Amino acid sequence: MKTKRSMVLVSNDPHSIANGADEVFNRFTKELKSFNLHKEISLSKVFDINSTDISPFVIVYPEAVIYGPLKPDDVHHLVEEHLFKGRIVSEMQAPKKELSGTISWVSARKGTLPAEQRIVLERAGIIDPDSIEDYIINDGYLALGKVLTEMKSDEVISLLKESNLRGRGGAGFPTGVKWGFVAGTKSDKKYVICNADESEPGTFKDRLILEGDPHSIIEAMIIAGYAVGANEGYIYIRGEYTLAQTRLLNAINQAKEMGFLGEDIFNSGHKFDLHIHIGAGAYICGEETALIESIEGKRGEPRSRPPYPTTNGLWNKPTLINNVETLANIAPIIRNGAEWFKSFGTPSSAGTKVYTILGNVNATGAIEVPMGITLREVIAIYAKGMKNNAVLKLAQTGGSSGSIIPANLQDVPMDYDSYTNAGVTMGSGALLICSEETCVVDLAKVLLNFFRFESCGKCNPCRIGNQRAFQILTRISEGLGSIKDLDNLQDISKWLYETSNCGLGQTAGSPLKDILNYFRAEVEAHIIQKECPAGVCPMSGKSPTFN
Amino acid sequence: MVKITIDGKTTEVERGTTVLNAARKLGIEIPTLCDHPELTPYGGCRLCLVDVEGAKTLQTSCTLPVSNDMVVHTDTQKIHDARKFILSMIFSERNHFCPYCQVSGGDCDLQNSAYAEDMTHWPIMPNWQPYPVDASHPFIILDHNRCILCRLCVRACGELVGNFTLGVEESGAESTLVADLGLPLGESSCVGCGTCVQVCPTGSIIDRWSAYQGKETEVDTTKTICRGCSIGCGIDVLTRDNRLVRIEGDWDAEINGGVLCEVGRFHPMVEERERLLTPMIRTNGKLKATSWDGAISATAEKIISSKGKFSGVASTRLSMEALNEFKAICDAFDADSIATTEGCAAISAIFDLAESSDKAFESKIDEIKDADCYLIIGEDTTKDHQVVSFFAKRQIPAGAKLIQISDCPTGIDNFANESLTIDKKSQSKLINAIGNLIARKSVDVEKIAKTFKLNVSSLKNVMRIMSSANKVAVIFGSRCEFDDATAVLESIISLNTLLNGKLITTKGNINSVGASMLGINNIATTDNSEVVLMALGDEELPQSFSRKFEKIPFSIIFSSYISPLTANADIVLPVQNWLEQGGHFINADGQILEAKAALEAPETVISNEESLLKLAAVLNIKKQQGWEEFVKKAPTPVTIN
Amino acid sequence: MIEKMKNDLDFIKTANKAVDMYHGKKDELIPILMKINQEIGFIPKEAMEEISSRMHIPQSQIISVASFYHMFFTKQTGRHVIKFCKSAPCHVAGSREVFNALTNKLELEPGETSSDGKWTLTTTSCLGVCSVGPVMMVDEDIYGNITPNQIPDILAKYE
Repeated sequence: MKTKRSMVLVSNDPHSIANGADEVFNRFTKELKSFNLHKEISLSKVFDINSTDISPFVIVYPEAVIYGPLKPDDVHHLVEEHLFKGRIVSEMQAPKKELSGTISWVSARKGTLPAEQRIVLERAGIIDPDSIEDYIINDGYLALGKVLTEMKSDEVISLLKESNLRGRGGAGFPTGVKWGFVAGTKSDKKYVICNADESEPGTFKDRLILEGDPHSIIEAMIIAGYAVGANEGYIYIRGEYTLAQTRLLNAINQAKEMGFLGEDIFNSGHKFDLHIHIGAGAYICGEETALIESIEGKRGEPRSRPPYPTTNGLWNKPTLINNVETLANIAPIIRNGAEWFKSFGTPSSAGTKVYTILGNVNATGAIEVPMGITLREVIAIYAKGMKNNAVLKLAQTGGSSGSIIPANLQDVPMDYDSYTNAGVTMGSGALLICSEETCVVDLAKVLLNFFRFESCGKCNPCRIGNQRAFQILTRISEGLGSIKDLDNLQDISKWLYETSNCGLGQTAGSPLKDILNYFRAEVEAHIIQKECPAGVCPMSGKSPTFN
Repeated sequence: MVKITIDGKTTEVERGTTVLNAARKLGIEIPTLCDHPELTPYGGCRLCLVDVEGAKTLQTSCTLPVSNDMVVHTDTQKIHDARKFILSMIFSERNHFCPYCQVSGGDCDLQNSAYAEDMTHWPIMPNWQPYPVDASHPFIILDHNRCILCRLCVRACGELVGNFTLGVEESGAESTLVADLGLPLGESSCVGCGTCVQVCPTGSIIDRWSAYQGKETEVDTTKTICRGCSIGCGIDVLTRDNRLVRIEGDWDAEINGGVLCEVGRFHPMVEERERLLTPMIRTNGKLKATSWDGAISATAEKIISSKGKFSGVASTRLSMEALNEFKAICDAFDADSIATTEGCAAISAIFDLAESSDKAFESKIDEIKDADCYLIIGEDTTKDHQVVSFFAKRQIPAGAKLIQISDCPTGIDNFANESLTIDKKSQSKLINAIGNLIARKSVDVEKIAKTFKLNVSSLKNVMRIMSSANKVAVIFGSRCEFDDATAVLESIISLNTLLNGKLITTKGNINSVGASMLGINNIATTDNSEVVLMALGDEELPQSFSRKFEKIPFSIIFSSYISPLTANADIVLPVQNWLEQGGHFINADGQILEAKAALEAPETVISNEESLLKLAAVLNIKKQQGWEEFVKKAPTPVTIN
Repeated sequence: MIEKMKNDLDFIKTANKAVDMYHGKKDELIPILMKINQEIGFIPKEAMEEISSRMHIPQSQIISVASFYHMFFTKQTGRHVIKFCKSAPCHVAGSREVFNALTNKLELEPGETSSDGKWTLTTTSCLGVCSVGPVMMVDEDIYGNITPNQIPDILAKYE
C-alpha cells in the first residue's frame, strides 16, 4: 500500500478554470517535480462548489489549509515554503468568512449550533477518490469485513430497521423494511441496484458522493447483496455524470483486484459482481421501474405497480433499489451501530441529510447536517443570508417536484414527519430559495416546462396535463389568462396526483397546487389586472402558438 | 382463490386475475380505451381507474391484480370526475373532430366513453395544429389527428402478428406513432394484415374500403370461414343492404384467434372481376344467353356423348358437398381424369404418403403456436398462408428461433435466425443430412456445409438451435416447386420424428384436403381429352393454368366471374361466390369447418352444389355416399375432427 | 455522391463496432446507441438499420428507444452542440438573460442548427452542477456562473 505524506487539491470548477486554474495545476506538477516531491505528495483536482470567490484555490492536507485566489506565479513560493519546508504561507491563505446577521433564536436550542456532521460526505473532497488505499485507511471495507465475518444476513436487516434509516432519494421509505421485503421473497436470482440517476433539478448530492467517495457505494452494495440474497448488482448512473462514471469504473476494477468483488469475498462464500449501466438522459429513469426498463434496453416507461420491484423487478426477479445517499449511510451504521445513527436527527428521521442550497442567497452549495434543521437556519448560517439583503419570498423544497413553501413555513424542522404534517415534501433535499425577484407564474412556467419535457408519454394525465398546464401558464404570463384558467390549473394539479401512472405525474401538480394555495393573489393579478407584480413576465398580449 | 368486493358485490377469483376481469365476472363494466382481452394490459389511458380502499391514489383496474379481501368502488362521484378529466385531456390533445369521422355515432370507444359520462363538449381547447394523415398504404389509412396513443395497434402488430412494424417515437407530448424508422406505412414492412385496424378504438386507423360504408350498429354480421387459403381462419363478415362492408377476424375462432392476413381481410374488398350473371351457350361462334334448363341439358348431352373421353377439373375452393357431386358426375361417366385446379406436386406427394402411412403424421395448427424453434421449408409464409407466419414470428420475443430452408430469398429472412438457400435438386438431400447430424449418424458439419455450398457457421448455428430446442415446429409449404416432392417430404417427416417436433403442411387452398380425400388428383394433366368439365367456382386462376386448357376443343365451365377461360368456353354456367354460399370444408390440419352465406346472390345465379345437383339429376345419377362417408375412410396425413 | 457513400459506409462500420463491443446482446441496445451517438454525433438511420439486422431487433423498436432519450440525437447536429440548462435553480440564478444573450448571438432558436453547420442549440434539464448556475455545456465542456457578457468569449473558443 502506498501512502503519501501530503495531498494537494486544486480547484477545477468552471469558475476556477475561467480564472486560470489549469495553469496553476500545471505549475504545481512542474514545481513538485523540480523539488522532487512528486512521489510523496499527491496532486489532484477538486470540483468545489462553495468557494467561487476565492477561485482558483488549493487545499493542502493534512493541515486542511486553503490558499486562494492563486496566480500561477504564486505556486513556486507555495511549494517551496509549505510543501518543501513545512511552513504555512499565511499571506496566501484565503480570507476567513464571517457569519452575517444575528442568530439569537439559536439559544432556544440549548445553545448548540446545528453544525455540519459529515457521515456520507465524510471522505468526499478529502481522500483521493482514485485510490482504494486511501479509502481503506479511512475505515474503508471495514463494515463489509464485519458483516461477512460476524453477522448473519437477517442481523444486518434488523440493524438497519433499528437505525430508522429512511430512503434519501425522495420517498423516505424505511430502508430496513425494503431490504426485508427483498430478502423475504424466494427466488433463484435477485439483484441490487444503486439509483445514481440523480436528475432532480437542484440536486447534486449523489454526484458529490460518487465523485468523492465511490468505494462507499461499492461496499454498501456488496453488503446489501449479502443481506438480501443477491449476487449481482448494477449502478445506474446518469449519462451526464462522466467523471463519476470514470471514478466508479476505476473503483470497481480496484475492488475486484483486491478481492472485494467477485467470488468468495473474505472467504465467506459470498460472491458479488457489479456492473455500471449508463443512462442516456431521462429524468423519468430515476423512477424505480422506469430505471429497470432502461437497464433492460427499453424506453424508460414506468411499469404498473403492483407488483413492486421487491418481488418483480429487473428481469422480473426480486430487486432492491436504493439511492446513492441511502447506500452511503450503510457502512457507517454498521461500523458505529444503530444508536449512534439515531443520536443525530429527530425521532422520525435519524441521521444526517445532504441539503443543496440554491437560489437568491449569498452562498450556494451543499451541506450535510443532522435532519431537523430549519430553513431559516440554513439561510442564515450556511447560505450566509439572502443576496443583497433581499427578503425571503418562497422556497421550493425537494427539487422541481417538491413543495413550494411561503416564508412563514421556514421554521418547520426539515425532517420527514414534520414536513409531512405541515403538508410539505422534503424530497431529495434540494432547497431553492427565492426572493421577491421571483414571480410565481414565471417559476411555475419553468417547472411545468420541465415536467412537460421529461414526461415519458405513457399515461394521458401526465403527458397531456403537463402540456396543458404549461400552455395555460404561458398564456397567463403573456397577459392572456382568464379566471377559468385557474380552475383548469386547479383541476389539472388535483387529477395529476390522483390519476398518473408514476411519481413524475403525481408530483408535477404539487408546485401548482402550492402556488394557487399560497400565492393566488399574485396569479390573479396577472389575469385580472394584467400585471406581473414582480415585473418578470412579458405580458406582451401576443398569443403564443403551440404545436 | 382470492376474494374481492366491487361496488358491494363479492366474488372469488383465481390469484392473478385483474380487477377489471373480476368486475366483468360480476357483470360490472368498467370503461377502457387501451385494454384488449387478447393483448397484455398497458395501463396508459387511465380510463379504467377505480378506487381501492387503502390505496393512496386511484388504480388502473386493467393491471391491478386482485389481493385478498380487496374492496373496490367503480361508481363514485370521484371516479366519474376522474374519467371526465381523462377524457377532457384526450380531447384537448389532438383533433377529435367527431362530425366527419367514420366511427362517430357508435363505433368510437372514445366518443362512447364521453357520452357515458354525460359529456357534451370539450372542456379544454386543443391547439388546432394539424397532424399528418398517412394514406400511403393501399388498404390502411393512419390519421394521427385521431390517435389517442393507446398503443393497441403497436401491441397488436407485435404480440398477435409478430411483425413489429409499428412503434412510438419521441417521448412525452411529442410521442407519435411510427412505422419502421419513420416510413410512410405504404413503404414500410407492414404486411397489410389489418389487425391494427381491428383493434383501434377510434377512427385513427381505418381502412379505405369500408370507411363510411356502415356503422357496426347498422350492419349484419355473419360468422363464417375465410376461403383465402387452407388455414380456414374464422371471420366475421359485416354486410349492409346486401353489400360487403368489412371483414374482421373472429376473436373467438380457435384457429386464428382474431388475426387475419391481407388476403383474407382486404382482397375480397377489391374484387374487380366482372360477374357472370346468366348461363350462356356458344352459338355460331358467339356466347349467347340462355336459360338454366337450356344450359344444363346442353351440358348433360355433351357429357353423355363424350363418355370416357372427357376430363373434369374442380377448384379446391368448392365445398365438400359440391366436390362430392362433381366427382360423382365424373365417375358415372368415366371421366378419363379428375383433378383440381391447383397442380401442386407437394400436395399430391403428401396424400400419396398418407396412403402408405397407417396413421396421421401431421399435427394440429394449435400445437405449433408455442414452439421455441420453427423450421419453415418450401414456402414464403409471408406471402402464402400468412397467418401461420404470424404464429411463428410472434414467438420471437419469447426467444423462439426461426430457420428457413428455401431456394430463394423469402420475406421470413428478416426474422429468421438462419436462412439456408439451397437449390431445388438438393433440398431433400440437405434435410437428410441435417437429420443425420441430429441423430449423430454423422458429425462432420464442415463437410456437409461444403457439399451443399452453405456457410459453415450458419449450418453450425442451425444444428445448435435445433438441438437445444424444447419444442420444434416444422412447417412444410406447398407453393415451391420441388424436383422430387416425395423425397423432400419423406426427409422432412423423418427429421420431424428425430426432433420430436410438430409437423404441419400448409397445402394449398381451403379445400385441398377435402378434394384429395374425395380422391380428386391434385394435378390436372392435359391429354387427349376433347371435352373438359370445369367447376371453377369463384377462383381466380393464373394465365399458366388457362394456357393448359387452350387446346381442348370443348369446355363447359361453372364460374362466378368472367375470365379468359369463360370467354373461350362453349357452355358457361354462373355460380355464386364464396360470400353467397355455405358448405363444409376441411382445412390444412384436418378440421371440418362450416361456412355460412353472408350475402344474397343475384337471382340468376345459384350455388356450386345446387348447379351440380341439377346436372346430376338430368344425368340420372343416383345419390352416392355422402362426403362424410368418404372422409371417414380416406387416407389422410391429418387427424380429421 | 461519393462523400455521402463514404458517410454511409462509415455509419455502418461504426454501428457494427458498437454492436461487437457489446457482443450483440439485445439488452445492451442503449449503450450501443450511446457509443454510436458519441462517435458520429448522432444516430443515423443507416446505423439503426444495421443494428436491426444484426441484432434481430425490429426497426420500430430501435427508433422508439433512440428517440426517447434526450442525450441521443437522431438528426445530424452542428460541429458543436450547446446544451443550455432551463431548470428552475439555474432560472432563479438568472439564466433567462444569459439565454437571451446566447440566442441573440447565435441567431438560433432551441432545436435549430446554424446554416454554416457550426452550432446546434438545445436546451436541457438539470445537469447536476446547480450551485454554479446559470450553467451550459458546449460539447463536453461545462460552464458555470455564466453572465451574459461572457457569451461571446465562450463561443469564440470553438472552431
